[in-house]
Amino acid sequence: MNRLLRSSAFTLAFSYVAFGIAALVLFAAPLWYAWQVTIQESRTEVLRADVQRLSEVFRREGAPGLAAFIDNRVGMQIPGERILLLTNPALHRLAGNLQEWPGGIPPEPGIYTLPVNLSGRQTHAMFVHTILPGGYNLLVGRDQTLFASLAPRFWYGLAAAVAVLSIAGALGGLMIRRAVLMRVDGIRQTVLAIVQGDWSHRLPTKTVSDELDTLSRTINAMLDQLEQLLHGVRDVSNSIAHDLRTPLAELRSRLEELVLTRPGPEEAFAEIDGAVADVDRVIRIFNALLRLAEIDTGMRRSGFVPVSAADVARQAVDFYLPAAELKGIALSYRGNGPADISGDPVLLAQAIGNLIDNALKYAADRGVISVEVQTLVGGKVWITVADDGPGIPDEEKPKVSTRFYRGDASRGTPGVGLGLTLVQSVAKVHGGVLELADNNPGLRAHMIIPAQLPGGTGALRGPALPSRSQLADTLGQLSLEVTEPPLDAADRSREARCVEYDHGVAPRAFHVPMLPDPANRLLGLCAAFFARDRQLVGAHYLCDRFRSHARPHQLDSGFVHQLTAFGK
Amino acid sequence: MKVLLVEDNERVTRFVVKGLQEAGHVADHADNGRDGMFLAASEPYDVIIMDRMLPGQIDGLAIIEALRKAGNRTPILILSALSDVDERIRGLKSGGDDYLTKPFAFGELLARLDALGRRAQGSGTQTSLRVGDLHVDLLSRRASRGTRTIALQPQEFKLLEYLMRHAGQVVTRTMLLENVWDYHFDPQTNVVDVHISKLRQKIESDSEPPLLRTVRNAGYMLSADE
Repeated sequence: MNRLLRSSAFTLAFSYVAFGIAALVLFAAPLWYAWQVTIQESRTEVLRADVQRLSEVFRREGAPGLAAFIDNRVGMQIPGERILLLTNPALHRLAGNLQEWPGGIPPEPGIYTLPVNLSGRQTHAMFVHTILPGGYNLLVGRDQTLFASLAPRFWYGLAAAVAVLSIAGALGGLMIRRAVLMRVDGIRQTVLAIVQGDWSHRLPTKTVSDELDTLSRTINAMLDQLEQLLHGVRDVSNSIAHDLRTPLAELRSRLEELVLTRPGPEEAFAEIDGAVADVDRVIRIFNALLRLAEIDTGMRRSGFVPVSAADVARQAVDFYLPAAELKGIALSYRGNGPADISGDPVLLAQAIGNLIDNALKYAADRGVISVEVQTLVGGKVWITVADDGPGIPDEEKPKVSTRFYRGDASRGTPGVGLGLTLVQSVAKVHGGVLELADNNPGLRAHMIIPAQLPGGTGALRGPALPSRSQLADTLGQLSLEVTEPPLDAADRSREARCVEYDHGVAPRAFHVPMLPDPANRLLGLCAAFFARDRQLVGAHYLCDRFRSHARPHQLDSGFVHQLTAFGK
Repeated sequence: MKVLLVEDNERVTRFVVKGLQEAGHVADHADNGRDGMFLAASEPYDVIIMDRMLPGQIDGLAIIEALRKAGNRTPILILSALSDVDERIRGLKSGGDDYLTKPFAFGELLARLDALGRRAQGSGTQTSLRVGDLHVDLLSRRASRGTRTIALQPQEFKLLEYLMRHAGQVVTRTMLLENVWDYHFDPQTNVVDVHISKLRQKIESDSEPPLLRTVRNAGYMLSADE
């Protein structure tokens, strides 16, 4: 019973019934009142009409005539239909079906309701008392008990309605409760099964979707996601076990062999060098995994700044160009515009670097690798790295970006199978995706990332939110945190707030005027740096650091001269 | 150079101290924060190597902050197992000068210590650099060897400039990646080596004595003497 009372269905049914009864009462009360008033009025009306008629008889035929008329009428009527009494001024009965003047009625004319003894029967009646000319009293009344049975009938009707409503409500509540309980119980059973480790279960859903069904679907989607994550974690631990065990096993056997064979120093040192290389391999895998974890938790998003994907890609192409030339591969960059996004330049560089690195590994001899950065309609930046190598078969495409997966084509090449996983994670943390397509022949890898729209309309850069760029100058002995106001061509009087963290000194804040032109912006910052007695090294370094945050800027001699002038 | 090592792991301590001594440096060490703090504040050191997680109430970053507050400007290299970029930034913000993640190669540590030690000696504002007959004008961004002008791409110039600023010191691949390209990750392939060999071809013609040497298991060194 306690459980029943606590169940939500019971509460629902109970409130439903209570509400119904309240509605019924609200409906019945005015009805009752109106009914009462109307009946009272119509009764009085009927009695008044009677009085009118009898007065007429009195006026025409006098008291004896009226007495005869009354007696005649009393004789003809259904007993008790009308109570009539005509008395002389001394209240002595002249005619009528009432034996004597009722004591409760005063001598003044008016309407009275009172108990009365009607031919031996105690009853409730309503009277109209009129004084006719000559002081005769005329009493016209009506037995109320004729209607008395109506009131209880009304109340019985009301009570019956309440009863029906309550029973229907209770039954309905029970039925709802049963239905809901059954489904909730289904959900509970499924979840219990999952808690016990059987991930194949899903909540039952129907074709007609009600609220509970929508909930079930949402929970199912969550379960799918969880199962995928679970598999992911399981796969990762398996892969880690496999991919770390292999170099560790090599290392172990190498060292064990060394102990057993006790070779000469020359050979022993060569073996030890090999062992160090094995350890380095393990460390590299660990670092890659930690980095992935760092990206996947989304922690890096706090360090997002406005960054030009085109600049990052161009720099990466420059970086890999000599390696490509060495292999006789034509590595080229193509782009339209700066392709501004909100992101982490270091992560982007690493992701693009990984893609180029992969392409270099698989591109054909004297092959071609092209890196393209384009801002397409719909506000997406496409970073594409295309090669003419063997490509990836369609059935392998979904797998290559999972951790430690190595395609058939990659057997025998260096790498641990985390490169594309990292690219995918980086795309994801930037709100984008990694798509792999055919280049016929070769692979086209696209990182598709939402563009940052100019003028602060992008979701990532609200107009009130200043963009942040953080840099730690490690060459000079301080770090500098620069908060740039959002880029806005119309506003030409902006200042960047810089906070300088120097060794052992409390952080100092100063403002640097910024010009809309990126080159001058750099200049302004560098000048501020100079004004604070920094070495050229520091200023240089700052400019270079700023390259990744602003447009690339050639540090030509003119620029440096200007800097020196500012410094003096 | 006189180096202070604040590190609680015995094996790492032995390994580093021995390596430093073999490299000709004088090394003191403290195995807890209190002693480290005391030594760092009372003795003049050229460089301090500071582990981040230390036994006792006081951790590495707190020591660094306290030293900087007291006006001590000795270069500090932070040694830590925490490799996140955020941790790195925290370390540098607290007053550290360089950050090296454990596990590390000794060559890497030594190269970074050298760079820190040299920097502390200070050279003021330089407008040109010279190593042997190799000359670089930082204002006009021009390089020459003897009478021969060397045409360099901007990136090659930066690489050469960094090597020349650290002439006579071993510079590791990681240091080059971080300082020349601003890449704080491992690009897997030997791209740095390719850049170096390209630069080498430009600054060393057949008849000229070599300047840029590869140091096995460590990195590169630019120096004029044999």
